[in-house]
Amino acid sequence: MRKLDILADAAKYDVSCSSSGSNRPARDGVGNTRSCGICHSYTEDGRCISLLKILYTNNCIYDCAYCINRRSNDIPRSAFTPDELAGLTMNFYNRNYIEGLFLSSGVLRSPDYTMEQLNEVARKLRNEYRFNGYIHMKAIPGADPLLVHQAGLLADRLSVNIEIPSEQQLLRLAPEKNYRSVFTPMNLISRNIAESREERKRYRKAPRFTPAGQSTQLIVGATEETDYTILRLASGLYNRQKLKRVYYSGFVPVNSHDSRLPELKQPPLVRENRLYQADWLMRFYHFRHDEILDENNPQLEQGIDPKLAYALRNPHLYPVDLDRASYEEILRVPGIGVRSARIIVANRRFGRIGFDHLKKMGVALNRAKYFIVCRELTTGIKPVVYPEQIRRKLLKSTNGAGTQLSLF
Amino acid sequence: MKVSGPYSIYTYDGSIDGFFSVVFHAFQSRIPPADILSLVSNNQIPIGDIIDVTTCPRQAARVRRGIASKSDKKNLRLVQVAHLAETRQTDMLLYRYLVRLFEKPGQSYYRNMLDPLVYDLVQAARRVKKEVHRFHGFVRFQQTRDNMYVAAIDPDNNIVRLLAPHFTSRFPHRKWLIYDVRRKYGIFHDTSGLMEVKLEGHAFELDSGYIGKNARAVREDLYRELWQTYYDSVNIKERKNSRQMRAFMPKRYWKYLPEKSKK
Ligand code: SF4
Repeated sequence: MRKLDILADAAKYDVSCSSSGSNRPARDGVGNTRSCGICHSYTEDGRCISLLKILYTNNCIYDCAYCINRRSNDIPRSAFTPDELAGLTMNFYNRNYIEGLFLSSGVLRSPDYTMEQLNEVARKLRNEYRFNGYIHMKAIPGADPLLVHQAGLLADRLSVNIEIPSEQQLLRLAPEKNYRSVFTPMNLISRNIAESREERKRYRKAPRFTPAGQSTQLIVGATEETDYTILRLASGLYNRQKLKRVYYSGFVPVNSHDSRLPELKQPPLVRENRLYQADWLMRFYHFRHDEILDENNPQLEQGIDPKLAYALRNPHLYPVDLDRASYEEILRVPGIGVRSARIIVANRRFGRIGFDHLKKMGVALNRAKYFIVCRELTTGIKPVVYPEQIRRKLLKSTNGAGTQLSLF
Repeated sequence: MKVSGPYSIYTYDGSIDGFFSVVFHAFQSRIPPADILSLVSNNQIPIGDIIDVTTCPRQAARVRRGIASKSDKKNLRLVQVAHLAETRQTDMLLYRYLVRLFEKPGQSYYRNMLDPLVYDLVQAARRVKKEVHRFHGFVRFQQTRDNMYVAAIDPDNNIVRLLAPHFTSRFPHRKWLIYDVRRKYGIFHDTSGLMEVKLEGHAFELDSGYIGKNARAVREDLYRELWQTYYDSVNIKERKNSRQMRAFMPKRYWKYLPEKSKK
């Protein structure tokens, strides 16, 4: 139990919940994976617990400044064996505590050795326990491409964490790492994914390579990069490496003070949340990163969400006529989400859209009303004239609620 | 049975067949309901003219066929799922919806979300589906000595049947039971298929959902404690946000989640 405590505790700073994007039906074994994420519990800090997220070991031969497991820390160390970890996963899964396993690790002996151990856990689960549930594994930077390939055939998702959003800073904080050691496996994985897709078009039985794709994590606030730099990096990862998700993790100072890192009283949670919102805009609202921010406006506003900020910077695009405008245009109205935008477009032929409908759909009218034309607002409010006024009004009305972490 | 006045309060046993029997009765006798009450989810005795309808599968089947023939199948699905919401007004909403469907057939009303009646029904169905989705995560199995996996639940809506497909596909070769302790029935699965069951006596402790110590597998307690340890250790103090946690996992669900109901 002590072991679990140490190794779960060490894994928790990877602040993401993900167990989606792959459908693996149970044929002759146990378990399946569902394409929409199932949360089994929630932590006291409101994160979804879906996977048993754990380190194989918290031993590490490296010494990254931002990491609690770095070799220069004097902390209790522990390691699982593949048998223990596979058994624990199965027993949790059978009780419906979890959707699957998120396996990460410090670097034990060498990257190759570590990757082999992780693969062994996954192999046991898949072949001995006939486990069809979800497995997310870290690809260890610097591991042999063959081992990474094996990992990809066993796991639903692989991830290589970039952690620090610029190479220069990474070199400063993690002297044993560089962007090549991160991007080599990442590019390899995206190539393998593409190849496996192609092959499966020809032979339906060709093996699947990480059907749920790959993801990465960026630490926010440990270094000086602007939000613009971070979003540009993320957008490149989505477009070029075809990543499924980029996770942003507000820096939590876990080590006693290191002069290379800032002293923070509190992790930058609001900033992290704004980045997630901006990320959503890129993934679901058809925004490009350089529409959200640019060289002249390199930081997301903390006080208002990025969509509202965009609308206030571009008053000439509003008001949007809900009875006529395209889906894309409606998506860009602050306070209207993907679901409401769809309902509006699908239902407006039945009649004019009015406040009562919008309210029922859950549209945040207090924001949306400044940017729309609808039954009650036949000419709309002209934000061209009043962007500053609207900003002040909205800032006042959301005061205090601004730190709550909801999306739009 | 007493029939008087132009309107009456209908009571029934809470099942979907019972509800359809009410609809059948109301249409045939031309006595529209002032209210429709399930005797299972309402404890108070209604005041007024009461017609207590006995559930009749044949009448229910006729209503079902009626719905299916008046429009497309999605309507039937919507009605059946919304009925499981068991909220006070849903049955009347459903009734009004069906009246409209039978009077002006052929239209796919459910598509028109601008109509408040349709919208409320769709919302009721969404609430049910949302809870089903939540319980895909919140069901907690315990392993029994004879290698069965059993779970107690107490959901807001009557969803235990809707949980069956997910767990059947997840654990296809296993004996498992998910039991609704408030509605006092459950779904049992073994290799030959699914069965609805009613348990005699108290198989589950009502406050914790645990099965009796003697019924548990040898390592059941160990794994439960490991899970509790895991839950406690993944917490990040610096990020504490209980409000959000409770929004996702409301307190009323905690009693059967071992990680939230430690003794
Ligand atoms: S290699 Fe990974 S585990 Fe090791 S110190 Fe760096 S971040 Fe921590």
